[in-house]
Amino acid sequence: MQHSALTRGIIICHRCEKPASINQDGQPCPRCGTHLHRRKRHSVAYTWALLLASMIMLIPANLLPIMTFKALGKGDPATIMQGVLQLLEHDMLGIALVVLTASIIIPVMKVVGLIILLLTVQLGWTTNMRQKMLMYHFVEWIGRWSMLDIFVVAILAAIVQLGSLASVTGNTGATAFAAAVIFTMLAANCFDTRLIWDKHLEQLEVFP
Amino acid sequence: MTDRDLASTQPGKFWVCPECDLLMNRRAMPNRHEAHCPRCQSLIISSKRHSIEWTLALAVAGLILFFPANLFPILTLTTLGLSQSETIFMSVTALYDSHLYAVSALVLMSAIVVPLMKLLLMTYLSGCLLFHKSAPLLSWAMRSYQQLDSWGMLEIYMLGILVSIVKLVDVADVTPGIGLYSLAGLIVVTLLTSTQLDRHRFWRRIEQLERR
Repeated sequence: MQHSALTRGIIICHRCEKPASINQDGQPCPRCGTHLHRRKRHSVAYTWALLLASMIMLIPANLLPIMTFKALGKGDPATIMQGVLQLLEHDMLGIALVVLTASIIIPVMKVVGLIILLLTVQLGWTTNMRQKMLMYHFVEWIGRWSMLDIFVVAILAAIVQLGSLASVTGNTGATAFAAAVIFTMLAANCFDTRLIWDKHLEQLEVFP
Repeated sequence: MTDRDLASTQPGKFWVCPECDLLMNRRAMPNRHEAHCPRCQSLIISSKRHSIEWTLALAVAGLILFFPANLFPILTLTTLGLSQSETIFMSVTALYDSHLYAVSALVLMSAIVVPLMKLLLMTYLSGCLLFHKSAPLLSWAMRSYQQLDSWGMLEIYMLGILVSIVKLVDVADVTPGIGLYSLAGLIVVTLLTSTQLDRHRFWRRIEQLERR
């Protein structure tokens, strides 16, 4: 028989994972001082809020230009997608795929993945639990790699400073994109995977 | 007494999966073994041999590499007799000059401040733990390290450098500098530190030291 620690009166510290009695709920962890809670507090609400914020920020992130590459005084501001297309025009398929994956495919996959996880908790779906855990770990791990485009803009803006010959400057789209990435990373941090399994146990108790 | 009361009086006798809350009986854990949760298959414990010694050595090596990685040029661009070098800090100032203040602060944090903080915290912490010195702020250092862990993004900065090289290779000559090699070393050391860190052993040792 599988027991969840909570139903047996045990909670663990979010930070150092030390088990404690449920009577210590709300008190600081005796080992590391983090406040003990049964589950991450307001996990679903916070995750939704941050996820919505990142979805909103993804719109200007993709519509506004993120950098301007000027050679001999000519050159227009380019959005993320235009940057990918420019790489394709120069026959750099591999690197175009890397940038496309990091800047467009991963952010969209992260948002879709987190929506599925949130709906799982809210609607009490109890199928494919292990796959959902894998999905969560993937979303959590891959999130940081979307920062790639921000770093590329930062590096190019620093190195391509050859006066009127060639120059690169960053544009406002970069701010929106960075905000979208940060919000999805925070959203993944706020999500508590134990909520997925709580539903599973509730149903086991009702229909053993 | 019900089962529930029995368990909650002795929470130290159990392991709890942090991902799915499965309750397990505590067991001895030999070195170089991993424990996976039988229900959700997340990695619960990964015990390392000489974890404290390794993290101290790696963190010190990281501190040594941090300075050349930040002070020497990473890339140098040459075209038509003009040349321009780049360090990590210059990419921060370039964003600042483009009036992207928030983004430049973010790059400053994730590529310079957080990696340095992580190395300093780990050197202090594993040094104190290795020599059994009870020092102030040990649990604060461990907590901060765990919180900062995913916000250091040097390996992504490295991928950014590679993408930039490919973008510029048609336009101009790009030569790597000492900074790039030091940065590569720093990334390897940082990643090894995270894999060699046995957080359960660290927390247990901190608990012993703070109890004295």
